[in-house]
Amino acid sequence: MSDSATRTPLVPPSTVVLVSGGSRGLGLAIVTDLLSAGLKVAAFARTVTPELAKLADTEPQRCYVDSVDVTDLAATQVFVRAAEDRLGPIDGLVNNAAVGQDSLHVHTATADIARIIETNLTAPLQLTRLVVRRMLAQGRRGRIVNVTSICAQRGFPGLVAYSATKGGMDAATRSLARELGGRMLVNAVAPGFFASEMSAVLGQTQLDQIVRRTPTGHLTAPEEVVPVVRMLLRDQTNINGQAIVVDGAASI
Amino acid sequence: MTELSRTQIRDLMGQVLANQGKVLPDDDGTDLRDVGFRSLDFSELALRVEDETGEELNFDAPGLRRIATVGDVLDFLVELQRQ
Ligand SMILES: NC(=O)c1ccc[n+]([C@@H]2O[C@H](COP(=O)([O-])OP(=O)(O)OC[C@H]3O[C@@H](n4cnc5c(N)ncnc54)[C@H](OP(=O)(O)O)[C@@H]3O)[C@@H](O)[C@H]2O)c1
Repeated sequence: MSDSATRTPLVPPSTVVLVSGGSRGLGLAIVTDLLSAGLKVAAFARTVTPELAKLADTEPQRCYVDSVDVTDLAATQVFVRAAEDRLGPIDGLVNNAAVGQDSLHVHTATADIARIIETNLTAPLQLTRLVVRRMLAQGRRGRIVNVTSICAQRGFPGLVAYSATKGGMDAATRSLARELGGRMLVNAVAPGFFASEMSAVLGQTQLDQIVRRTPTGHLTAPEEVVPVVRMLLRDQTNINGQAIVVDGAASI
Repeated sequence: MTELSRTQIRDLMGQVLANQGKVLPDDDGTDLRDVGFRSLDFSELALRVEDETGEELNFDAPGLRRIATVGDVLDFLVELQRQ
């Protein structure tokens, strides 16, 4: 089969976006931002926080939320169908849900390593497969944004398994962008450390150290990541298969 | 499960330091920075305790950040064995 010859039509901006892990932190900021931009958003997490529930209550026609564990494939399938029934066909996916780590590799329980890999790597790959299958089957074009991390590109003690999953997602981003032949734009956003429940384990000394090493002089804030996610979902650019670092040049 | 006593852990800590030509002071209040006992030395010590007891000792890094003195190391490992 030939993949070349005719010019591939452009991938339109996403209008109905699924955000995993939308209950707090960066995920909640992404959901809030996309709703403000007029999009329809489906979001889940294991626990629906009052903040997320409020968004769904305020915008029932544009926001669908439920409590789903991303590692439960059957539950994510049910969620995707229910979200599409309510909002219409999904044409954007933000793989944001993840669990953190703060333990040296040799002292991390094997069950914890398995859980980190399942949540941060296996589950988003499965969710992506699910959403892409639906988009392809209906001839839709769409966009995928994987929230990875600077840990995918730089080394940090205490984050070995976590970094491996984020590096895995960066790698998957590139291969998916090729595989999907321009019918979908697939990119990653790799933030530096920002304040959230996930990074709350970092000690003040470490946070101060990160800030000292950051030319812009401050930790990345979720509000600084959100516009990049929105740009990848909405703007007409030819960015595809990239991992965009948002860290104030801390890693440069 | 066999549990190592504080004294036995202290002996192992002394061995970890002796391997690097360092000496473990008698005073439990001594700051680890003065002894030159770093986080990987702590890992080595924890793994030696595991070897002796046959039980894995897993723990998160934030717990480690509170450890400042020789006594903190011993307390942490004694406590960890009980969890
Ligand atoms: N914080 C940082 O410094 C930092 C830096 C770089 C990249 N990142 C990345 O940014 C993204 C967001 O992180 P954050 O800091 O905002 O983390 P966070 O505050 O801990 O939020 C994580 C979100 O994922 C959800 N989640 C976790 N496990 C899940 C599961 N099994 N099923 C469904 N949802 C699940 C959480 O909800 P429930 O717990 O209720 O399920 C929550 O909504 C992650 O991909 C993270 O790796 C974070």
